[in-house]
Amino acid sequence: MNLSIDNPSPPLIELRSVVKVYNSLAGSVMALNCVSLQIFQGEFLVVTGKSGSGKTTLVNIITGLDRLTSGEVWVSGSPMHRFGTEKAARLRGGTMGVVFQSFELLPTLTVLQNVMLPMDFARRYSVWEQRKRAFNLLEQVDIADHAKKQPSALSGGQQQRLAIARAMANDPAILVADEPTGSLDSATAAAVMGIFEGLVQEGRTVLMVTHDKDIAKRGSRTATLVDGEIADAQIKESLHA
Amino acid sequence: MLRARWYKVINDLFGNKTRTLLIVLSMSVGLFALGIILSARTILSEGLAESFAAINPSSGTVRTTELFDEEFLESVRSMKDVQEADARRQISARVRTELGEWKNLTVFVVADYDDIRVNKVSSQSGVWPPPEREMLIERAALSVIGAQVGDVVLVRFPNDTERKILIAGSAYDPAQLPAQIDGTPYGYITFDTLEWFGEPYGFNELHVLATHAQDKDWAQQVVNHVKDKAEKSGYTIPLSMIAEPGQLPMNDVLQGILLLMGLLGVLSLFLSIFLVVNTVSALLTQQKRQIGVMKAVGGSTFQILGMYLVMVLAYGVLALLIAIPLGMAGARELSSALAVFFNFEIYSTEVPPLTIKIQVVIGLILPVLASLIPFISSLRISAAEAMSIYSISKGRFGKNWIDQILSGSNLWFTRDLSLRSLLLSVRNTFRNKGRLTLTLITLTLGSATFISVFNVRASLSSTVEDMIKWFNCDTMLTLDRAYRAERLNREALSVPGVEKTDVWIQLPTRLVRSDDSESGMIYMFAPTVKPDSLIVSPTIAEGRWLAEGDDNAVVVPSAFLQDEPELELGGNIVLKVNGKEYTFKIVGTYIGMAFLPVVYANYDYMTRITNRIGEADALMISTRDHDPVSVDAATSMLEAHFESVGIRVSMLTTINMERRDAEASFDAIVALLLVMAILLALVGGLGLMGTMSINVLERTREIGVLRAIGASNRGVAMVFIREGIVIGLMSWVMGAILAIPTSQGLNQALGQAVMGVPLTYSYSLPGMWLWLVVVVLLSILASFIPARTASRLTVREVLAYE
Ligand SMILES: Nc1ncnc2c1ncn2[C@@H]1O[C@H](COP(=O)(O)OP(=O)(O)OP(=O)(O)O)[C@@H](O)[C@H]1O
Ligand SMILES: [Mg+2]
Repeated sequence: MNLSIDNPSPPLIELRSVVKVYNSLAGSVMALNCVSLQIFQGEFLVVTGKSGSGKTTLVNIITGLDRLTSGEVWVSGSPMHRFGTEKAARLRGGTMGVVFQSFELLPTLTVLQNVMLPMDFARRYSVWEQRKRAFNLLEQVDIADHAKKQPSALSGGQQQRLAIARAMANDPAILVADEPTGSLDSATAAAVMGIFEGLVQEGRTVLMVTHDKDIAKRGSRTATLVDGEIADAQIKESLHA
Repeated sequence: MLRARWYKVINDLFGNKTRTLLIVLSMSVGLFALGIILSARTILSEGLAESFAAINPSSGTVRTTELFDEEFLESVRSMKDVQEADARRQISARVRTELGEWKNLTVFVVADYDDIRVNKVSSQSGVWPPPEREMLIERAALSVIGAQVGDVVLVRFPNDTERKILIAGSAYDPAQLPAQIDGTPYGYITFDTLEWFGEPYGFNELHVLATHAQDKDWAQQVVNHVKDKAEKSGYTIPLSMIAEPGQLPMNDVLQGILLLMGLLGVLSLFLSIFLVVNTVSALLTQQKRQIGVMKAVGGSTFQILGMYLVMVLAYGVLALLIAIPLGMAGARELSSALAVFFNFEIYSTEVPPLTIKIQVVIGLILPVLASLIPFISSLRISAAEAMSIYSISKGRFGKNWIDQILSGSNLWFTRDLSLRSLLLSVRNTFRNKGRLTLTLITLTLGSATFISVFNVRASLSSTVEDMIKWFNCDTMLTLDRAYRAERLNREALSVPGVEKTDVWIQLPTRLVRSDDSESGMIYMFAPTVKPDSLIVSPTIAEGRWLAEGDDNAVVVPSAFLQDEPELELGGNIVLKVNGKEYTFKIVGTYIGMAFLPVVYANYDYMTRITNRIGEADALMISTRDHDPVSVDAATSMLEAHFESVGIRVSMLTTINMERRDAEASFDAIVALLLVMAILLALVGGLGLMGTMSINVLERTREIGVLRAIGASNRGVAMVFIREGIVIGLMSWVMGAILAIPTSQGLNQALGQAVMGVPLTYSYSLPGMWLWLVVVVLLSILASFIPARTASRLTVREVLAYE
């Protein structure tokens, strides 16, 4: 498996001159300013940057959760930037798992049901399989004991792990995580990183946002955002090379 | 095992019981009001038609002055176009009530109570047929004379015979105007009993059923034939009446009520539509973020829409489960109460399936449509936007001039802190404009209807006042014959309390047409026309009222000109008085109920041409004090005094009785209107409560934040209460304005149905103020309860809440 940037196979995700401007009462904010980025299959890309530099915006654009102002986003050969919310949802549901910075768990579902919901929407597995898979995922992130609880009854770290389990529900080829370790102690954070690394080893692609320097080091490549622009893209030796 | 998304639906439904309860209640009040009105309307109109068909109603009634016998009845029965005929004796007697007060009593004498062929009377309770020297009373009349079956009452006949008579039972006679409406109770006796009262045998009333009973013109012709026949046989016909085919006497009023109910039904339809739409859109706004999350984890619009449709349908079903049975029960109660009042039977209280269908459509389909709209619009926003915390503060506030004003920055007085915070509530209120609009429309409709109901009530009173306005005196006495006017005045003024008197004369006349044919009997009333006359004009439709110097001027009912094409305003009319023809000039027409035509002419002129100068057979008096007690006291003293000096009073009316009677005929409408007003206040109030609560629930998180940053429970609750009051006040202002055209429409419709002319418009300020109080109280209540609940949650609970 070749993980270097001069990979001859086409990139799994490609951003070409992406611009995102937010318009609000306070005025316009250029959150992404002509960002171009290629992500190849099997990469573990870590995006860093100061608060407000546009990391979450980048995640939303890549996952098709938000529309861009100009530019192009290609995901496994499909032009995400041309998709409406409906098509984007389908593409996302089939290929990507997303961990949100603020978790976005559904308050009226149990922990287990929260993990089952994406599988339900994707119509991937039978209800029994959904349940079994969801339970396994919860075990992987070590919160299986809380399966029957409401998300609001979990601690911040537990909620974050639940969000990760939910993102992995449909066995996605791409995992996009916005600050997945922000609320975790270093031991649990390390465990989560372990999970991500395992995914990469299985040949999946991971994009992770963080501003923890130590954690950033564990990715195969780092991209730093400064005021909506990519400052540098640093390639590292693949972890398992 | 269910799919995860259905767990979400179930948990959303039953996990948040308060919200479910509120949504279901808001939806069901509207549906309930709709059900009660639509069903009662159908039950009533069907009951009315059936009750009427059951009595074999007459096409018309012919009254004779002289008595006739069975032989004449048989000859009428054998007429070609007469399908059936029956005869009765009708006597205007007096009865002394429990309280010792004398009241008019119409006594009917029927030859064979088990063979009444037209306008059937049947047994209601007690003995049947009436035994000798005992009497039956119409069931609706018992309350009027304040007696019960088994009581003995004192009855006085026009021939002065007084008898104590036992009320042996009650009868049901829907062909008569219900007693409490025209104030005259009905009694039923046999000819043996009549003899006991010293009256000779014989009939004076013919009830005729024409062959094609549904054709009114035909019926009119047939009744006219019967009348001609009677006149040829030497009978004098003072009165003949045509009934509306297939209708009870109170049909017009009832139709007015049904119409009113129909209109209110339409209003409550809109109300319930708005309540449903409002509730559902509130729910979806509340769920916006979660919808975004579900989209983000791969839910398609279709799947998510499916979830909410199921949820909304579940609310609809729950609301219908409450609204349908309650609406049915309410409709039954309401229609049986009205049936008692209008004295007819309801044979079936079956609720029409159409009502339920309409309720189901509104309860199920409408919410679905209502939820589609926000869904379609949500397609335009991205999942990220839906989830964005920015969207909370991203409201469009600040752009237009309303917002500019409300921001208060340009107003010096907003430096006053409390005003500033008030403006803050308005600003909050304005934030979700779509919701605010819906809430306001709903509440405005409710307010407008409530105030309109009061306006119609006020207009009914003004109409009554208008109807009796021409009756400028306190008491009016009709005498058995003509007396010298000077003597009447002198005797009346000798009674303490009587301050002013006036006289008139009544003359039977007939209209003579250019082809020499004559009309039926027309009453001519000839009042004095002086500045201090105790009669002012009835409501003039066209032209003018009589003037002091008038000679041969007459004022006729406006309907008269339509019936008699030869006549016109300003034209001549030939009237036969005492066998002689006189030509009069029509100077005006008045609005009046047309079945008893009365023309007015000048007293001085009429007494002069008929050689009866100084005579009078009716006396009006004005008493010193005009309150009912003083008037009644003076009146009974006067009656006693007249009796002692040999002046016989055949009929006596005080203005209070007149007003009471006129009001009584509107009582049912007023009562119904009040029921409706309460119902609407309830619907509007619960609607407001629902919306306010949903508003508060929606912002539970905001409340948590407010409290997290140090706001007190009271402070938090106050923010919402102020907001509720602002919404309430806004709806009140708009409703009060909207009520003007609404009540005009209602007045128009109701007046046309009941009297052929719109009601006298009157805006009820008390109604408006009352609704202000109600709406403010409701607003406080509606926002206080949810705000308190929200402020009782711990900050952590609130922040976890969604
Ligand atoms: N919905 C929005 N409307 C207006 N401006 C926005 C919106 N979302 C983000 N922004 C602005 O865009 C810029 C980038 O925001 P973004 O959320 O991408 O930053 P971030 O790098 O994720 O920061 P953090 O590390 O704090 O999460 C910021 O200046 C932010 O204020
Ligand atoms: Mg961020």
